[in-house]
Amino acid sequence: MQVAIVSLSSCLGCQMVFLSLGDFFYRFIGENRIVYAPFFVDGRDFPEVELALVEGTVRNSGHFLKAREVREKAGRVVALGTCACFGGVQGLADGFSEETLIRRRFGETDMENAPRGIRRLLPLDSYIKVDAFLPGCPPDSDLLKGFLEMVLAGEVPERPGSTVCSQCRVTSPELPQPGPRRVTAEPPRPGACLLESGYLCMGPLTRDGCGARCPSAMGVPCHGCRGPSDAAMTPAVDILGETVRRLSRATGRRESEVAAAVTDPAHSCYLFCMAEPSLRRRRPGGTAPFIHRLESR
Amino acid sequence: MAELVIDPVTRISGIAAIRVVTDEEGNVEARFQAYGYRGFEQIAVGCHLDNLLPLVSRICGRDSVFHQVAVASAVEVATGTRPPQEAMNVRLLALWAQLFERHAVCLTVHSLPDLLFPSSDPGLRNLVSIYRVDEEVVRRLMALKALGTDVLRQAGGAAVHPVNIRPGGAFRTLSAEVRKELLGKLDEAAPLLMETGKLIKLLLRRNEELVNGLANLSAPSLALRGDGSMELTGERIAVSGADGVELAAYGCQELAGKIKESNSRHSHVRHAELEGVGPARVGPLARLNVNGGYGSPLADEELEEIKSQWGFPVQRGLVGHALRILEMMHAWHRMRELLQAEPLEDLGGGVQASAGKAVGAVEAPEGMLIYEVEVGDDGLLKRMSIVSPLQFNLHLLERSLSESAGSLLAGSEGESRATDLLQVAVRSYAPCIPCGIH
Repeated sequence: MQVAIVSLSSCLGCQMVFLSLGDFFYRFIGENRIVYAPFFVDGRDFPEVELALVEGTVRNSGHFLKAREVREKAGRVVALGTCACFGGVQGLADGFSEETLIRRRFGETDMENAPRGIRRLLPLDSYIKVDAFLPGCPPDSDLLKGFLEMVLAGEVPERPGSTVCSQCRVTSPELPQPGPRRVTAEPPRPGACLLESGYLCMGPLTRDGCGARCPSAMGVPCHGCRGPSDAAMTPAVDILGETVRRLSRATGRRESEVAAAVTDPAHSCYLFCMAEPSLRRRRPGGTAPFIHRLESR
Repeated sequence: MAELVIDPVTRISGIAAIRVVTDEEGNVEARFQAYGYRGFEQIAVGCHLDNLLPLVSRICGRDSVFHQVAVASAVEVATGTRPPQEAMNVRLLALWAQLFERHAVCLTVHSLPDLLFPSSDPGLRNLVSIYRVDEEVVRRLMALKALGTDVLRQAGGAAVHPVNIRPGGAFRTLSAEVRKELLGKLDEAAPLLMETGKLIKLLLRRNEELVNGLANLSAPSLALRGDGSMELTGERIAVSGADGVELAAYGCQELAGKIKESNSRHSHVRHAELEGVGPARVGPLARLNVNGGYGSPLADEELEEIKSQWGFPVQRGLVGHALRILEMMHAWHRMRELLQAEPLEDLGGGVQASAGKAVGAVEAPEGMLIYEVEVGDDGLLKRMSIVSPLQFNLHLLERSLSESAGSLLAGSEGESRATDLLQVAVRSYAPCIPCGIH
């Protein structure tokens, strides 16, 4: 199979996982032809391919033109990683226009051959048709391996849609607990449910597939790096409101008090999915208010 | 006006182009063009310290721990927090592991094909083609990358964007079983590391003309100063001149006022230079030029051969590949020391929210990475600025390209050879574009 690996605006983390697939990596490069992947090989022109793995977000006209070319020439397009699937951390830039961001950094400097900034930050499938999605920042190596095996066999894998909590192995503490708490102020006790211990943990609203390694094995609250779960994507759910409600139950404090204590709601609850359009449009509980709030800073 | 465009430059970290412009008078200017500014300094404002490390980690998947430790150090100084020894050890283990992994990728995936097959078809000059000819050599070289990944996964809790570090400390330390297992893997890899070092040295000698002709520029060096050793964290910073004589020394907190940034007309990577010094080199060459050695037996022994072959201070960019292997030997030594140390229980308490501002600097694999932060008494980030290694090296990189392009385009071999060699020169700097366009 002819395969392309394309980076748009990204940290290259997804390609590092690709290099970490062990025997599968060797089988993959032995059985398939990687014809376009500037990180690995020298081809500059994008050829016709059967499969294109695209990581990163579209931030400017250069990325948009590349994404369109990929769609025209690739049989199947896979959105690889949370940036391509939901906008990722870069989605926070949606609080500004690209012009504002660039003006604040570079002033009025006129740059040669500079691509034009996009108006709104959106996931890849807002620009081109995407055949399969593999979120994760980056996707776990076993997850990527399983996903690629299915894609190579001609199947279209579905996104796991349940939540990180469904895979988390922790105990419930006695309620109520003090909180809301922050791990930098009060490091948590390992082994207990972090949300019920009063910490901001996005596990109940985040897509599963990672094995809940952060909360279960490390005692680190989930930041939502695999993007919102199917339930969190439905219009009835307000991600911030749901988090506040759960913390209110855990701490025995009024919802308004808890909400006031979440002083950075955009970073705490939408760190990886601010650019997801289905969340932006939602009223109430969408991300639109944060876009305004960030812009006014 | 004639123009040679190489877009994209391949086998580097990120998306960039080279544009070589020759004016009517025959003056050649090469521009390293990298667009796609992402605004991390702006989107981080208002972020609670809990979310700061996961956020800055996403600037670069290959240098993520370096971003996390640099910003955590700055926050700790700003808030008057002192992380305990065990947390520092866990961080250092993750840093050395990521440096080891990144250098291994830079050598095997990006640069080794140029040195192994300097005259073959560029389409065949890559890891995948080498694998088709000789599976074993690729597997052996990539085993070093896998070793770095294994140590990083255990020290950081994840292999690409680690989660184990927090301002004030760390979440977990490594169990005795895991330490034993990793020590076994390190011991097993020692012969392979030595063998790879020999291979790189041999390849540099075989490509002597390239080593002398490409990216060979005299410049001052900027790096963290150890006690005759290479360190990844610290408070002392030194600048040595092209002749090796020390030009300046600063404390880390003085650094912010010494760096001058300016816009480029053709890139979102801003130029950075030192006040009173001008452009300075950062990265493996600079670290060696400032410290004179590594401070571990294996690397220092090998260094003598490099010094006698290529001189000291080292200014030839391609010798950087040999220095990367020496840094991997030093990292191997430091990882062993850290894994053998008796683990302590205290991993750090909480950070008391208090207003302050401070600087944090680390030696990232390709040079000094600097964070300046201002924290409010509500525990939210008020301001953050980042200076990445590519910003320092950009002056030198563009000068190297301009000089090489002038002679290559004037020669008889034409544009395709120039295209090849200019990219070899870029790869000697191992530029990290995602860090540069943060």
